[in-house]
Amino acid sequence: MTNTLLSLKNIIKSYQIKSETYEILKGLDIEIKRGDFVAIMGPSGSGKSTLLNIIGCLDSPTSGLYTLEDKNVSGLSERELAVIRNTYIGFIFQNFNLIPSLSVIDNVLLPSFYLGKEDHKRAEELLSSMGLAERLSFKPNELSGGQKQRVAIARALMNDPSFLLADEPTGALDSKTGKEIMELIVDLNKKEGKTILMVTHDPIIAERAHRIIRLQDGKIVHE
Amino acid sequence: MNNITVVRKLLKLSWNALMANPLRSFLTTLGIIIGSLTIIIVVALGEGAKKDIEQQYSSMSVTTILINAPSTVDGAASKLSYADVEPIKQLPSIATAIPQLSGRVQMQYSGQSSNLSVLGTTPDIQQLANLILVKGRFFTTEENDHHIKVAVIGATVAEELFGDRYADVVGKTIMVGKKEFEVIGLLEYKGGSVGPTTIDDSIFTPYSSAYRYILGINGRFNMNAQANDVKLINQAVDEISKSLRETHSLKPGMNDDFRVRDMGTTVSAAVNSSRTMSVLLASVGIVVLLVGGIGIMNIMYVTVTERTKEIGIRKAIGAQSEYILFQFLFEAFILSLVGFFIGCILSFGVFFLLKKFEVSVILVWWSYLLSFFTTVSIGIFFGWYPAQKAASLNPIDALRYE
Repeated sequence: MTNTLLSLKNIIKSYQIKSETYEILKGLDIEIKRGDFVAIMGPSGSGKSTLLNIIGCLDSPTSGLYTLEDKNVSGLSERELAVIRNTYIGFIFQNFNLIPSLSVIDNVLLPSFYLGKEDHKRAEELLSSMGLAERLSFKPNELSGGQKQRVAIARALMNDPSFLLADEPTGALDSKTGKEIMELIVDLNKKEGKTILMVTHDPIIAERAHRIIRLQDGKIVHE
Repeated sequence: MNNITVVRKLLKLSWNALMANPLRSFLTTLGIIIGSLTIIIVVALGEGAKKDIEQQYSSMSVTTILINAPSTVDGAASKLSYADVEPIKQLPSIATAIPQLSGRVQMQYSGQSSNLSVLGTTPDIQQLANLILVKGRFFTTEENDHHIKVAVIGATVAEELFGDRYADVVGKTIMVGKKEFEVIGLLEYKGGSVGPTTIDDSIFTPYSSAYRYILGINGRFNMNAQANDVKLINQAVDEISKSLRETHSLKPGMNDDFRVRDMGTTVSAAVNSSRTMSVLLASVGIVVLLVGGIGIMNIMYVTVTERTKEIGIRKAIGAQSEYILFQFLFEAFILSLVGFFIGCILSFGVFFLLKKFEVSVILVWWSYLLSFFTTVSIGIFFGWYPAQKAASLNPIDALRYE
């Protein structure tokens, strides 16, 4: 196990719309070490989301090499990518993206269900550590925004992924709750050594990261 | 976690999704309910009709030949009449022939009144239709010659007028229409019939008495003849036709004003027509199921669209396409299965309702099997495309969907 968790080498992503080709990502090189806490910043249209999708294995690059846990994942099939997402990546979304028809515990159990081994004990422990032990059978719409994001974080941690990929994790929360969630994420990095990649446009939040990668027009402009 | 656990989990998931919208789920499955019910009931009706036919002709042998008059021939009434009986009796291939004058008439006995069948005939019917007496005797040729008002009654008639199938009826006088008839015999319960009339709810009187006192020209006239041997049936049919054309003085080229059919052909025609009817009705059931299936497909498409975001989330956290496919396929499967079960339950209700209206229906186990397989295959067939659509959604687009 090397110290490098993931590396992107000369990643290009382009879209063909009619005869025009649009290059969204113009050859990115990024390397992220285990235990790192990296913020990705950039204005809208800079290619942030596309980069996030590629790192999150939701999308494949047009060219370039993406290595995750010493595996080349740039050319994998949709099916193999699903397995990678399930085992190595914990997603935290701006809008929580909990499944409204499922209870809190069932939402958290979901990644382990798709992994093929549901672990109720771990799900309960994770929710307890988030202060949600009393809310296991609640539906998402019975929770506050901060509680929803805690459930989402518990779900992201469920399969003990290699890294957490957070997309504006405090974007939908008020500043006080946002701060609490940030503390939680920082703690996950500091105390539990979780590698964290976070997309944000808020410089104050980005300050909490060890590294800030700034993106503009599909290129890294400043690190 | 083994496959069975996964399947159980997915089934539960699908069930919960359906229960989140119970009214919509119910309306979706309505077509399936009606379709599966139709198949079960159609088969039951077909079986009932088959049994009816078997029962109706059970008391007649294959050597029986039926002779009747079509309603009109070239606009003129048929000349088929009592006078035709004797010449037919004399034909070489014929063992015997009987006239039958039938109609329905009001009958009474000490306050009890019922609308029942009268059959005016000759004593030969007893042997031809294999009528067995439990009490009294049959009427005689002399009584027919002298139009004596005597009657042999069927078991149901005894029940209707005397309150008991085995009542002591011999010697009692009943009102048949406006005339008094003396009951001289009681028949054994048969559950069969002589051609169009059922034995049990008929009274049998001498032909001449029925004609003169009860039915007159309003009675329906037909004849039954019996061939000497099974091998002679075709010959007998030909001889009867030829004889009738002569006595009715029909010129060559003119249509017959009578119809001669042997039992075997009649029964197989009846069986065939009831089978054709069943096939027709069953295809209605299948069409209803197809429409029901399209209903399922339609709603499943709506469901998939509504839950695009959920599908995106599931895929993002690592659900492989099969999980999504089966989750939605199971919804269609459950809809059709529940529809089938409701159809089954309703089939009992419809069965008893039809019974109440004296329609002959017989529930058979294989109709449920047939209904089950058709219903479930339709559910899966029509559920497949929406489920496939869900499974093939791109997670990025699905996540972005609002």
